Amino acid sequence: MNYGIIAKVIGSLLIFEAAMFLPAFMAGVYYDETSSLVFLGVMLLTLVVGGILTRFTHSSRDIRAKEALIIVAGGWVAVSAFGALPFYLSGAIPSYMDAFFETVSGLTTTGATILHDIESLDKGILFWRSFTHWLGGMGILVLTLAVLPALGVGGFQIFKAETPGPVADKLAPKMKHTAVILYTAYFGITVLETVLLMFGGLSLYEALVHTFGTVGTGGFSTLNSSIGGYSSAYVQWVIAIFMVASGVNFSLYYAAYRKRLSDVFQNEELRFYLLIIITATMLIFFDLQWVFHGSVFTTLRHSFFQVASIMTTTGYATVDYEQWPVFSQSVLFFLMFVGGCAGSTGGSIKVIRLLVLVKLVKREIMHILHPRAMLPVKIHKRLLEADVIASVTSFYVLYLLIMAAGTMLLTLENIDIISAFSAVAATLGNIGPGFGFVGPTQNYADFSMPAKGLMSVLMLMGRLELFTVFILMTPDFWKERA
Amino acid sequence: MKVLIIGMGKLGFQLADAFSIKDNDVTVMDQKQTALQKTTDQLDVMAYQHNGVELSSLNKASIGEMDLTIAVTDDDETNILIAFLAKRMGCNRSIARVRNPEYSRQSDFIKKEMEIDFIVNPEHSTAIEIKNYLMRDMVIHMEDFAQGRISLADVHVNSMCDIAGIKLKDLDIQEKVLVAAIAREGEVIIPYGDTMIEGTDVLYLIGESEDVASFSGRCGVPMEKKEINSVVILGGGRLGYYLAEYLTDLGISIKIIEQNRERCKYLAENFGNALIINGDGTDLSLLKEENVFDADALVCLTGLDEENLLLALLAKQFGMQHVISKVSRPNYIPIIEKLGVDVAINPVTITAGEILRYVLGGKVASISLLLGGAAEALELIIQPEAYVTRDQLQYLDLPKGIIIGAVLREGNVLIPDGMTHIQPGDRVVVFMLSSEMSNVEKYFLPPRRGLLSELWNNR
Repeated sequence: MNYGIIAKVIGSLLIFEAAMFLPAFMAGVYYDETSSLVFLGVMLLTLVVGGILTRFTHSSRDIRAKEALIIVAGGWVAVSAFGALPFYLSGAIPSYMDAFFETVSGLTTTGATILHDIESLDKGILFWRSFTHWLGGMGILVLTLAVLPALGVGGFQIFKAETPGPVADKLAPKMKHTAVILYTAYFGITVLETVLLMFGGLSLYEALVHTFGTVGTGGFSTLNSSIGGYSSAYVQWVIAIFMVASGVNFSLYYAAYRKRLSDVFQNEELRFYLLIIITATMLIFFDLQWVFHGSVFTTLRHSFFQVASIMTTTGYATVDYEQWPVFSQSVLFFLMFVGGCAGSTGGSIKVIRLLVLVKLVKREIMHILHPRAMLPVKIHKRLLEADVIASVTSFYVLYLLIMAAGTMLLTLENIDIISAFSAVAATLGNIGPGFGFVGPTQNYADFSMPAKGLMSVLMLMGRLELFTVFILMTPDFWKERA
Repeated sequence: MKVLIIGMGKLGFQLADAFSIKDNDVTVMDQKQTALQKTTDQLDVMAYQHNGVELSSLNKASIGEMDLTIAVTDDDETNILIAFLAKRMGCNRSIARVRNPEYSRQSDFIKKEMEIDFIVNPEHSTAIEIKNYLMRDMVIHMEDFAQGRISLADVHVNSMCDIAGIKLKDLDIQEKVLVAAIAREGEVIIPYGDTMIEGTDVLYLIGESEDVASFSGRCGVPMEKKEINSVVILGGGRLGYYLAEYLTDLGISIKIIEQNRERCKYLAENFGNALIINGDGTDLSLLKEENVFDADALVCLTGLDEENLLLALLAKQFGMQHVISKVSRPNYIPIIEKLGVDVAINPVTITAGEILRYVLGGKVASISLLLGGAAEALELIIQPEAYVTRDQLQYLDLPKGIIIGAVLREGNVLIPDGMTHIQPGDRVVVFMLSSEMSNVEKYFLPPRRGLLSELWNNR
């Protein structure tokens, strides 16, 4: 194991994070808050620790798959640990465990919060809280790759371990260029949404914070009542549409830019993703109209917003969906297990995996009808290799197993099973709000410390696609010899 | 430069490796997932799992923006077709690998009519390399530059007078030679004065041909001229065929041992002068019966690296002077020459070198890949305004992995030192680690000018 290079990359990651405290610091200075001084201190500390780590010598520049996994998992933990310091040191969150939970929730774009009264906090602190969504959305290491000098092959290994979805594809021959392309698209969407929100009457600060929450599919707001606090239908529509846009594979934006529109329209995952959103919206819309007889446009807006929010694992809310009819709630509940597309900022299981599973079931049915038929599983007209299918199914099984284990552990807190189950689903799927005890008007503050620790691990596991974290827990991984 | 390589076999991989170290955007294409897996795991390149002859897959790789397409699948027809299509679809240059002798003979016509820029035939190039080795006078010469005036030779330290354990700067050299590089345990080191010579090292000496010869002679390398009149070739494949063709032209008596009866028949019909024997080359009694070990040289060219190596070792045991073995996997090469086989020839490396030389074009007169591609020796003619002409070498900021081995100026060979000031028009032999290859343009070629550099690059 090449520990030198691991320390070095994590060190540069921390130096990068130190620079990322700057926007929050500036926001604090702008609003004339004393807590902004905390950012200076934390920045200095992070810089020093990062600087020390980069001094480590290493035998070669090679980063193999094993090292990449440690870099990614370790990098996320390290960034979360330092990212929690501003909350803790400024006194905004008095317990470090809570601050760590909040930061992990931010970086993994979960949006689960332990704060009761968000509006009472300093603006600089809240800015940092939302900025973690933006950093974590596309992958903080991928972002570092775009800035750092080329890591060569190792870069791709890291990219593979951090990018959501079963297969990671480069967009340009050099890893660095791929990272730059992805972040350009990400940056473009961010700017666009901020401008559109400002047209809706939000201040630059509010527009930025909610944009970070949207494009990272995170869900932190500055208002206690989330997006419901803005009565403007325009703002709600903009955020809903950008949530859907952020759940799309970002490489498709590049394809569109390269005028490869057929690649975009023929993308089966995108079609399936939109189909699920439209179907779910319609189901909830008719259910709500049936029960409440409200205004057509308002009902449509609320149903679309909630569907987009849960499906893309953002977690914003415009209404308390726990007041909805049970059928609508159950539709939302199952959307928690869908998630965004591969290569998007969304979490959960991902549409592409579901698509593969659906095709597998379809093949099985065909196989019973025609026992001797050759039935290949294809996506985008390409044959899926057996090991890709195996990795999808084993991901699914592992996801369910972790759900089961997590739910059992959480029920030790003496909460009802729906609350426990949806809390696990909401953290593992990086969604944020769930049902019951963790519903959209509730928060995670009342869990015990071990439960918060458990859920922090679940969030990291969900964000890093289970295996990256899980593999570090196997003894085989740490064996140096064959 | 944007390069598309189609076919990820051994050659494809080595090319992708050589190109991707540099500042090039390399895209590779193959139909097999496993071949691509290895490439993306080890190199920073973009991979497509597609059939390269399909127009749609070429379009997917944006063929119109490519500067160079290299078709090295295992099928000649496919390669020719890809190179042709690539050119028609807007790629600047295309290269195809063609191995079939029937096609190869008409390669000039194919090149002209199908507008393929370069056709490379690995077996043909390798055969020439083996012939050159066999026909050289001296035992040690590896590579000639500047029309034979400058030589690069590899000398095993253990065969030399006791110079192991001395620092390079204390080495007593009367001749004008330079130790350009040291191969130690499979790695290449560019030495400086304080580098200690170890007993197992291989030194790469560069200098005027006579000086190199006399230095190695003084240090105990056998100096007798080799005389080769009879050669036995094991394996009558394409490589054996080409080699036999060259050697019979030179009047050398040839024996080819080949297992396949049909192939033997074909060879016998084509070579009046060669003796074709149908039999198993690993059969010791056959080899003895045919007096194989009494020939002047043995060339092992069967399809299996292991078989070639073991037979070469066996021949050495029986006291043969010159044994050459074909080895297709570059990672074996460091241990092979340790074992006593005179030369291990790797067609993949030779072909990759040939393609690189072509791509660098007229700017580089000659290039050889050494040690399975870890180091390279280049011959360049220095143009006016190149960085190296600015000042004496000691004041220039050249990277450690690059060493100027020899300079040919107005017919005289110089071994450069810190005071040497390279002039335009000099022919220099540069020895470098492959990782420094990207710096060649920067230091040895005229500078590019601003916005025009793109044009220059895409020429």
